[in-house]
Amino acid sequence: MYTTWTLKYKPKSLAEVVGNKEAIEKFGEWVKSWEKGTPKKRAAFLYGPPGVGKTVTVEAFANDFKMELVEKNASDYRTEDAVKRFAGLASQFGSLFGGKRIVLLDELDGLTGTADRGGVKAITEIVKTAQCPVVLIANNVYDPRFTNLRVFCLLIEFKKPPAGEVAKHLKRICSLEGIQADENALKFIAQRSEGDIRSAINDLQALAQGKKRLTYEDVSWLGYRDRQDTIFNVLRMILYGKTCVGAKQAADMADVDVDMLFEWIYENAPAHLTDPHDLAKAMDALSMADVYRGRIRLTQDWSFMRYVIDYLTAGVAMARQNTKIHGWIPFKFPERIQMLSRSKAERATQLNIGYKIKRKCHISAVRATKEVLPYLRIIFKNNAEMAAGLAKWLDLDQEMIESLVGNKEKAEAITRLLS
Amino acid sequence: MSFEMWAEKYRPKTLDDMVDQKEIVERLKSFVKSRNVPHCIFAGPPGTGKTTAALCLARDLYGDVYREHLMELNASDERGINVVRETVKTFARARSIGEIPFKIMILDESDNMTADAQQALRRTMERYTETCRFILCANYSGKIIEPIQSRCAPFRFTFLPREEQDKYLKCIAEKENVKLSKEGLDAIFEVCGGDLRKAINTLQAAASLNKLVDQKVVYSIAGRANPADVQKMIETAINGDFLEARKQLRDMIQKYGVAGSDIIRQIHTEIFRAEIPEPWKIKLAAIVGEIDYRLVEGADEEVQLSALLARLVEAGSEIGKKN
Repeated sequence: MYTTWTLKYKPKSLAEVVGNKEAIEKFGEWVKSWEKGTPKKRAAFLYGPPGVGKTVTVEAFANDFKMELVEKNASDYRTEDAVKRFAGLASQFGSLFGGKRIVLLDELDGLTGTADRGGVKAITEIVKTAQCPVVLIANNVYDPRFTNLRVFCLLIEFKKPPAGEVAKHLKRICSLEGIQADENALKFIAQRSEGDIRSAINDLQALAQGKKRLTYEDVSWLGYRDRQDTIFNVLRMILYGKTCVGAKQAADMADVDVDMLFEWIYENAPAHLTDPHDLAKAMDALSMADVYRGRIRLTQDWSFMRYVIDYLTAGVAMARQNTKIHGWIPFKFPERIQMLSRSKAERATQLNIGYKIKRKCHISAVRATKEVLPYLRIIFKNNAEMAAGLAKWLDLDQEMIESLVGNKEKAEAITRLLS
Repeated sequence: MSFEMWAEKYRPKTLDDMVDQKEIVERLKSFVKSRNVPHCIFAGPPGTGKTTAALCLARDLYGDVYREHLMELNASDERGINVVRETVKTFARARSIGEIPFKIMILDESDNMTADAQQALRRTMERYTETCRFILCANYSGKIIEPIQSRCAPFRFTFLPREEQDKYLKCIAEKENVKLSKEGLDAIFEVCGGDLRKAINTLQAAASLNKLVDQKVVYSIAGRANPADVQKMIETAINGDFLEARKQLRDMIQKYGVAGSDIIRQIHTEIFRAEIPEPWKIKLAAIVGEIDYRLVEGADEEVQLSALLARLVEAGSEIGKKN
């Protein structure tokens, strides 16, 4: 069965964690200090770049000392209310079965402005009153959002481990997988990952899985990690994937989030799956992936994300049956995203006109933009006199008039009629 | 110089002014007579007089100062639970001064309220019945939760019959000094169905172009006011150009803000008009239905509709092979 190596070789014990000895020690002492009563800082804030072992350290620690780990991460919903519900768990040290408990709030960088509103505030409240060790994890502890929260926390920095240590870890994995790997090949992967152990292991798996031997030649053609390059590889693995597993694996490699990956595939699938049946199947898979996104939104149950990934990757890959591969087709940046930001200002003006209409016409602004605006546009383009009258009646400003007329001179003519 | 939107200028002021919806109007008049109004749901398609009926009822009930006893909220703009908790509650619980002990709250487009907000509303309706009566206007009463439905007297508004709409439009045309031809009227009805607001907007836009509103002007208005050229998009897809069809779809949604549900409704209509073999029409209708359902469940309208376009491309290629 296929598992990602990052999961398969995740350290079970602190001894297996790569690098960051000091940070781990500091963390261990702090947790143990709870035995002697509540310490001054009731939370530890672990921070540092991605893939250096922050989460793994906490998990391994809990495992070593047989503590119960209660975890919440970015995939959970974290509004003020949601966090408060979670807070009860942090209110006692002992868990239900007599063991000790650690509460972990992971990926705090992922708290978004609106959806998780009040989340940081609620977390701060928990930290102030916690009766058991609370561990917070984020990439950037100096984010202004954490200013207040930071005061109550023991800050522990996790640094990028040196390439040599990463390479050693890769070597261990290779020997367990029965792969004979050249020293310099592993070193190359380790260096390329720039201290991100997770990405190093992912790269190793992509390059070495199923091989008996990994040479420098096998890896040297790879350039330094480059976002663009990575997403193209991911797209290739999905749009030309032969197996479900291979396509799903691609999603793990992508260093864009699922929504962004969705946009990339949605943009590029049609050009690469040109047979009408294949195209219909691929688009149907994307449609189903989107249905599951809708279900996540509705239920707030993020475990449905796995089906989004299934449809998005394996579903699209399996659509390819008849399309003949001919020639090289370039991948394109999702046009929809560019367009969205471009038309944003325009839509804002339209909505403002909608609100003006609403004040007079007993109709919602949203509906006014759809149902009344098109007619206004025609009137404003063709009949300056009527337009001026309506502009006065609706109290439209210059910008709105211009948006309706679509022409600066004509808009000025209407404004002149107004005065 | 004075211009208004005609749809507003000629909105009936009292229940007596209202054309059509006769049975509903009679019942509302009886409320006025007894000076008592239950919570109501006004359900029905757009442009059939729901909001108008509610406003007329209030005016008949309170006279010219009706604005003081009335609040209008629009769920499409203010649909969150906080609006119910704050704005609605504050208004509902304050006592009314005057001989009628209650005020009226019109919740327009209330089928757009979130389920949470509806739950909160249900309690508010119950607690403050003495001081406030609610009129919920909605296109689909099915989107309103059962407990609220059971607390309300239901009223079903239907599209205006042709002759009523004609009468109304002719009357406006006369007052605005616009010549409206018989063919022009036919065209407006064909384009707008019984949606009176849309019909009046079309008439006004047409009149802004030309003093004589005939068939030709009306169709040109309809074409321009309707950025959703669904027919062309379907043709593009059936002819096999998915990327171009998707681009047209994207323009409709992003540039013009056309709702996905409107687009799919038009696709459904167009499919039966399209020049494709008869058996295919029903096959495609089934696909449209499936996508329509997913549209409700999904997160992204363009993704769902372009999945439908891809099926049209597929159908187009199948049809091509058979010929």
